[in-house]
Formats: sequence, structure tokens, C-alpha cells
Amino acid sequence: METMRGCVAAAVLVLFSAPLPAQNAADGLAIGRQMLAEDNPGELWVERGKRLFFEKRGPKNASLEACDLGQGPGKVEGAFAQLPRYFADTDKVQDLESRLMTCMVTLQGFKREDIVKNRFGTLDRDSDMEALVSFVGSKSNGMKMAVPLAHPKEREAFKAGEYLFNRRSGPLDFSCATCHGDEGKRVRLQDLPNMTDAKQVQHVVATGWPAYRGTQATVRTMQHRLYDCNWQMRLPDLGYTSEMSIALTSYLNHRGNGGEIHLPGVRR
Amino acid sequence: MMRNVTLVCGFACAAIVLGCATGPSPEETRAIGEHMVSEAYPGMPAELTARAHQDADQKICSRPPGDKLTSDEAQRVVAHARASLKYPANGKLAGDWKIGQRLVANGGGLRVRGGRVEKVKENGALCINCHALDPREVNSGNLGPELIGYGAKRGHTDAIVKYTYEKIYNSWLYFPCSNMPRLGANGYLTPEQIAHVVAYLVDPQSPVNRN
Repeated sequence: METMRGCVAAAVLVLFSAPLPAQNAADGLAIGRQMLAEDNPGELWVERGKRLFFEKRGPKNASLEACDLGQGPGKVEGAFAQLPRYFADTDKVQDLESRLMTCMVTLQGFKREDIVKNRFGTLDRDSDMEALVSFVGSKSNGMKMAVPLAHPKEREAFKAGEYLFNRRSGPLDFSCATCHGDEGKRVRLQDLPNMTDAKQVQHVVATGWPAYRGTQATVRTMQHRLYDCNWQMRLPDLGYTSEMSIALTSYLNHRGNGGEIHLPGVRR
Repeated sequence: MMRNVTLVCGFACAAIVLGCATGPSPEETRAIGEHMVSEAYPGMPAELTARAHQDADQKICSRPPGDKLTSDEAQRVVAHARASLKYPANGKLAGDWKIGQRLVANGGGLRVRGGRVEKVKENGALCINCHALDPREVNSGNLGPELIGYGAKRGHTDAIVKYTYEKIYNSWLYFPCSNMPRLGANGYLTPEQIAHVVAYLVDPQSPVNRN
């Protein structure tokens, strides 16, 4: 696995460091992305996630087969398409990552703080969460996003997410909308999706995260995307699966309804 | 009496049903959202979580797309911006364009990782993240307007220098709620650093003004 991963990382580095005519940098990245998508390194994370899901693990020596991701115990098909959603047992709106964490704690006996510590993989250490999210996400492939707003707490999370998306703070006065509120914008050469555009939200939500990131040689999740945006905004480390992060995901994912899912994605 | 009760109940029930169908009111949403922010950064030191608190102007400037500022709100933001202005101790609003050149390409400063502020020699001025400045620089963003030839087009009179300095110090003075950060007023750049960036924009020798 490690050797394989090293090779993938090396190949990706070559791919992204190939000299390109400067004015075509964005096109070059698009070509690289397409090449990767045809042979998506994220599949390695899907396979590992599948193994982790069915393996008996943790202090309680249990698999995740009894985990209810919203479609009933053990049913991973179509789960991603309807998350975040309200769960009666926790009385909370949960995204995929917070729900998996609930299952890993209650069913397998893992400690919450250990899961949080290993939430994002490094080159030396794989993250089980990144693999599990890849596996579960891929099990909605070909389906359409259909995030519910039936429960009052789901509507509350959606509205709060909308409020937070436009909320400016920090030493640079940024909100999410500062970078993701207009058409055809870039920070330096990095294209920024316009999350106020219905079609782009559908595309980003249904094919965006989890994604294999060439620059990081690993799969990153939506929680990581939000954490990294917070970092760029000069805000403190965003709490993993904080209600704020889930509200933002509810706002985006519900507006992504109708988008056809293809995960994991491939990103720079 | 009975009729009144029915009427009141009728309105209340309608309001509840409507509320349930559409979600919380804007005031409730704000309260819920602010509560989420207060719990979004567990284990972070107070001086860092304070960054997520909004000042009065950030509150005014946080609005959904298409929601225009009232003239009263705009006047308040501008008045606060006017009061925030500070100038370099030596009184020179245009400094050294070569130092400015280094600053405009630097996108770092004040970032937090693992509960600590990343150590940097100086905060970068972030300019090319959003603006094209040097026509030979490819790696520039487009969130803000292109500023190639800024000084060549406008000159470098005292009035232009002062405007440019104040615009960078607090962009909301001239464009209330602009996307551009209030770099000086927020304490992100020093007055001296801003003066160097001003020189980079207006000096005829600067790459910005040489084609």
C-alpha cells in the first residue's frame, strides 16, 4: 500500500509539475485532472475504506455493519446523497463524518479524541476516516443529491449555514462568499467555484468532496475543505464536525440537490 | 371573547405552521449561527477565538447577495473607516517600491495551525492573490480589479498617493463593505508597510508602471 501510494504520489507530482505555457496553466490543470479522474488514485482509499467498514475493530471488536447512516443499519448505498440529515438517536443534524464518528464511538468503542487526532492523514500516517468517507461516498455514485429539509433541525441548520456563508469576520474581513460568491474568480491561479450559482453548487457538492488531492497525495474530505478555508481566512483551527461546519455543509449540500454523484473527486 | 381567542389562535397557529415550514426567523437564525461560531473553535486560546467575533462594521457588511446597504449603514461604515485612519510616523505615504514589490507577492501572515499563529518574518500584503499588478507576473488572481499601470494612468500626485494609502489602510472608506480587507485598520499591515505598497503602485520605476 505504502509503495503503491508513493508511486501514485510521484506520478501525480510529475503530472502537476510538467511545464505548461503560462497562459494555459488552468487548461493544463484541467487536463491533469481529467487524466487522474480516468485512473483515480482515490480508488485506493475506497478499497481500504471498504475493508475498514466490514472489519471487526476497536475495543468492542465490532464492524460498522450496524451503523445507520440514514438509510438503515449497514446500508451505505445512497447514504451520502442524503447527508447531512437529522438523526433521532443523537438529536442532531449530522454530516457523513460526524455520523461515522458516532458509529465508531458507540459500536466499536473508539475514543472520540483519537478519531479527531487522526482525522486528516499525513504522508506517514493514513486516516481511517478519509478511507471510510471515500468508501461510503462512492456508494452513492450515479445517484442524485437529495438532502432533506423535512425536520425543523434540518431547516435550522440550512438557515444557519446560509447566515454563516455570508458572515464576515477575522483580521481579513472574509466570509465564504468573499471568494465563492462571483463568477470566474481566482486566487492567484486557483479557480474558485461560485457557490451562489445553482449548477456549480450541484457539481461541486456531487463530485467535489471527498477528493483525491494531487498536491497532498491523499484523499481529503469536506470537513478538511472547510478547515482549510478557515485557515486561509486566518480564523483558528475549525473544530472537527463542529455544528458550524455541519450547518455550512447542510446549506451547500441541500442546494446541490439534483447533482449526479461521482466520488471520490480529483482535485489539485 | 371566544371569537377573539379563536382569532388569536388562528394567527398564532398560522405563524407556527409557517415558521415550521420555512425555518427560523432571521433573528433566530442569527442567534443560532452566532452560537455555532462560539462553539466552532474548541480548545483554541481566547485571543484566537476573538478573531471570529464580529465588529460593528463586519456585522453591517455580512449580508446575502443582492441585499444592498442602506445609506445610513453606509455612512456608519464610512465614519468608522475615517476614524480608523493612521499614517506613518515619518509622514511619508509613499515609501520604497522595492520593499513594496516583496510585500505584494507575499500571501502569508497571521495564519493559525494547531492553535498557534504561524511564525513569519512579516505579514505579506496579499495583493497579487486578487489583483494583477505587474504585467510580467502570471501568478495573480482576479477577485479584485486589474491594477496594471496604476500610477502610469493616475500619476503620483499627493492626492493620488493619499487616496491610495487610505484605500489600502481601510478600503471601506471609499467602498463600504468592499470585499477587500481593511488591511491597516485591522492591524494586519503597518502604516509603513502600506506606504511601501503605495510606492510600488505609483512609482514610475515600479514594474507596475513599466511596460
